[in-house]
Amino acid sequence: MKTLLMTTAATLLAGSALAQSITVGAANISDYLDPGRDHSNVGSQFYYNSFDTLIDRDHSKLEPEWVPALATEWKLVDDTTMELKLREGVKFHNGEDMTADDVVFSLNRMYQATFAPYVVRSKDRLANFAEAVKIDDYTVQIKVERPEPLWETLVSLQQVMIIPEDYTKALSGDPEVAEDGDFEAFSLAPVGTGPYAISEFVPGQKVVYSRFDEFWGDRAPLEQATVIRIPETASRITALKTGEADIVTNIAPDQLDLINADPNLKTEGSATALFHVMIMNVNHPNLVDPKIRQAMSMAIDRDLLNEALWLGKAIVPSTHTMKEMGELHMPELNTFEYNPEKARELLAESSYDGEEIVFDAYPVYYTNGVLAAQAITEMWAEVGIKGRVNVTETWTGASPDLMARSWSNPMYFADPFGSFGVMWAPNGPSEGSGRFNTDAEYAAIWERFRFSKDIEERKAAYAELMDRIKQDPPVLPLYRPFESWGMNKGIDWAPQPGHIPYVLDFRAGAIALADS
Amino acid sequence: MTVTTHIPSRTSLPLTLWRDSNVIQKAAALIGLALVLMALLAPLIAPFDPLAQSLISRLRPPLGFERYKDGFYLGTDELGRDVLSRSLHGLQLTLGLALAGATIGLLIGGTLGLFAGLRRGWAEDAIMAAVDLQIAVPFTLLALLILALFGSSLTVMICVLGIAGWEQYARIVRAEVRKITELPFIEAARASGGGQRYIALTHVLPNIVSPLVVQFTLSLSNIVILESTLSFLGLGVQPPTATLGSMVGYGRDYMPTAPWMVIAPAVLIILVTFSVQILGDWLRDRADVRLRDR
Amino acid sequence: MTLYILRTLLKMVLTLFAIITLVFFATRMSGSPLDTALGDGLAEEDRALMIEYFGLDRSIWYQYLAYLRGVLEGNFGLSFIERRPVADIVAERIWPTLQLLGSALALTLVVSVPLGVVAALWRDSWIGSAVMGLAFIGYAVPNFVIATFMVLIFAFSLNWLPVVGNGTPWHFIMPTIAMSGVLIAALTRFTRNAMLDVLGQDFMRTARAKGLPETVVILKHGLRNAGVTVLSVLGLQIAGMAAAGNVVVEAIFSWPGIGELLVSAAIMRDYPVLQFGVISVAFAVVVVNALTDIAYVVADPRIRMAKG
Repeated sequence: MKTLLMTTAATLLAGSALAQSITVGAANISDYLDPGRDHSNVGSQFYYNSFDTLIDRDHSKLEPEWVPALATEWKLVDDTTMELKLREGVKFHNGEDMTADDVVFSLNRMYQATFAPYVVRSKDRLANFAEAVKIDDYTVQIKVERPEPLWETLVSLQQVMIIPEDYTKALSGDPEVAEDGDFEAFSLAPVGTGPYAISEFVPGQKVVYSRFDEFWGDRAPLEQATVIRIPETASRITALKTGEADIVTNIAPDQLDLINADPNLKTEGSATALFHVMIMNVNHPNLVDPKIRQAMSMAIDRDLLNEALWLGKAIVPSTHTMKEMGELHMPELNTFEYNPEKARELLAESSYDGEEIVFDAYPVYYTNGVLAAQAITEMWAEVGIKGRVNVTETWTGASPDLMARSWSNPMYFADPFGSFGVMWAPNGPSEGSGRFNTDAEYAAIWERFRFSKDIEERKAAYAELMDRIKQDPPVLPLYRPFESWGMNKGIDWAPQPGHIPYVLDFRAGAIALADS
Repeated sequence: MTVTTHIPSRTSLPLTLWRDSNVIQKAAALIGLALVLMALLAPLIAPFDPLAQSLISRLRPPLGFERYKDGFYLGTDELGRDVLSRSLHGLQLTLGLALAGATIGLLIGGTLGLFAGLRRGWAEDAIMAAVDLQIAVPFTLLALLILALFGSSLTVMICVLGIAGWEQYARIVRAEVRKITELPFIEAARASGGGQRYIALTHVLPNIVSPLVVQFTLSLSNIVILESTLSFLGLGVQPPTATLGSMVGYGRDYMPTAPWMVIAPAVLIILVTFSVQILGDWLRDRADVRLRDR
Repeated sequence: MTLYILRTLLKMVLTLFAIITLVFFATRMSGSPLDTALGDGLAEEDRALMIEYFGLDRSIWYQYLAYLRGVLEGNFGLSFIERRPVADIVAERIWPTLQLLGSALALTLVVSVPLGVVAALWRDSWIGSAVMGLAFIGYAVPNFVIATFMVLIFAFSLNWLPVVGNGTPWHFIMPTIAMSGVLIAALTRFTRNAMLDVLGQDFMRTARAKGLPETVVILKHGLRNAGVTVLSVLGLQIAGMAAAGNVVVEAIFSWPGIGELLVSAAIMRDYPVLQFGVISVAFAVVVVNALTDIAYVVADPRIRMAKG
């Protein structure tokens, strides 16, 4: 019996090594695959292998270094127009040639969105983009409303990856018209120009990438990569041990030793470009007094959370900033601190009268989320705040009853606008949800931060925004979580510093398999 | 207690029961007693506050292992809380929830069953249709969906456990009532002018007590398993409060690294369900009411 | 007779209608898809846009009538999240669940019928007590405990068995055992009790008096008669228990089945998937129920009277 079983396991292992194929066990798999409408942490794992943007960046570097992708060159023709020359001879996975028509179609489906999920997604980051225009078969122009300081950044977003026009339009209804049904069908049968075609997609269960031989760039290193869903942490680690998976995602720091103790396995990780944050509802009757929210924030010993839950591997920020943001990385700002004495003082001066403050948390969505919530309410108790954890799958962030909850502020692109900016803009998702207020002054600072050509002016404006946040806090970034991947020692893969969080990059140069 | 009607000698009931039982039943009775005592005395015998965290001593192993922390005999969990204290309080809550759930089920099901059995007509049809409806959807699935939809809180949990078994009581009571009301002495009571309620209270109720006691005991272990399953899936009582099921549920991610977080509560769940099952079965045999595997 | 069958069918339709209605309103009372992670960080006007996109801006009565019409036409709608017909999604998931259920029921039958017979025949000896003791333990151990510990031992430590999905026969071993534990315990007890009832019957004594060998008496007369009871129990209660245990086992073994689909649909408020899923499960149970009822009446017309 035992021999038989061992043979099966060995066959499984051998099979994957011979064919230059790997199996990835992911905690979650998208229910749809369309780079345009998606900005979830789950979804961002999947797009980079199969889709290209016009301009790309060297993802092995932290500092942005723009490289040609589907566009070979680009220049500004005036303040509000960029002209791009397209690469010739690029094929989509279905065999179609990529031309200016596809690019204009892909961009305008976001810039001039009519399909509701695109509208929602484009507004928060692409509002300044007016339209894309075809000049000839391999030249396009992109026009913006106001002079844009973040051109390359916003042209290299996941949301503006290029998809085929004819294929998409023909998916449902009239093949000449882009209908909602076309985009819905596309998200179940996605086609791009990347090094891997998505040869099988079972929503929520499985994504199979197959090498696309007609890819315009460097040949994909893997013949096939299959991503399967393994929701249970213990099962993911076990699957790695039994050889059923070659890479597994979302490994909590507590489990790292266990994997590294196995001579055949290793882990790779990084402090992901994303903040786990605590949000506080500035409009809740019990929390209107900013001193209470300052106290809630100052009572939290984020370094202790880091030590205990992340084994010191997470990064606790002094302000809402990340090193990926280049010149706009501003660690010198001191917006958030741990100061229990000050918290007690503020609480005494405030209108707080022992009311229970409920901290909502998703059950499993964020690694260590429920643990952090329980630890935070303990820390509150230390300074005299009565807290209670409420674990719920419901998104309470838009409810008037919300008091505090966990959330994340990912870096959607490498600029403060791509992280703090998307979430905390005037009329953005936070204000729109009724838990954050802005006024004319905030909006004016915001304008300077968003559109100034001068870096120093942008930095000064950002510092002013952070000061506003400090005085009347709606949010506390807890830390950049340390996310880890467990893998077979024969695989050379690690998260790259130039990517947005969670991207599974299997392109040339990003992954290699040891010869076996 | 009420099983007395079927026991020949009333003088020393516990003693008689004890003498008539086999080894397994005796063991089950002792384990059950010990568990109830542990649950009742949890606040007194638990060495620590079950909610007290110590982030610097997380995931410490039990007594006898390397890195053991003094006093934390069964080790600590992912927030440095004492596993023993949490298990004892978890046992208390698990048993409390099961009793509350079974009692609510008994009250709802018993009342409806009695009503259906005595009233007949459209009331009976409606009640039995509801019973059929409840049977039509597997209950654990239904409970999962209710908790996923309406969120988990102690109140929702008790309600879910309460409606978990009501249809069993309703069927039993209705069947027994129909059987009893056809017996001659009820006919006699009715003939002598006894009202519906009078008959229900004086004649019917005493006769259905023992099947109900048996069903109650048997359903307890089902409810414990249901509660544990729901809590295991994270749909039960809210953390930091723990039930045995939620301890296993939250601890399962740590199975390979810190199995002690799971072993103590898992063993307690098994002991509870095991002893309650045996006792229920034993009562059923004693009561001999042909209730077998209804 | 025909009248009775018609009545049963009518009851079945009414029960299903009640379930559809209950599920429809309960899901909508409990929140919208925008209350879950899907609505995470949407500005107010964007929420309105998405509500319209999901078709939730119409009045609830309109939605209900539209859904009923769809059901009558066999159209159960599109998943909110995946935007494809829910029938396709459920069809994809129901097969793995049925496979697992089937293998669990098979294992249950193979193990518990002999055990039950043994326990009945040696009722008063230690063998009977041992079997029943085992059955009680099996009943007492929740399937998530069996599953968790099996994974730790046979996959994590020993590397003998795979833990993810349903790819090969090896994948069936642990989930099947985890699902069967409780079922085996229950069915062993049913079998034992059914056998005990049968053993006391007159025809058994008659058979023995005829001088038939004991094995023949037990297998031919005893087991066959007890088997009827056992099978009827297996059909209903056991299938219900198995369906319930499914969710946990599917989660632990990443089994692409329907239990997990329903729970995640409930969490995400994917109403169309949830409605169709519950209706299909209920439909299966109601049909089995109705068929059992009708079969009983066909076999024994007296029941019709008793049922009123």
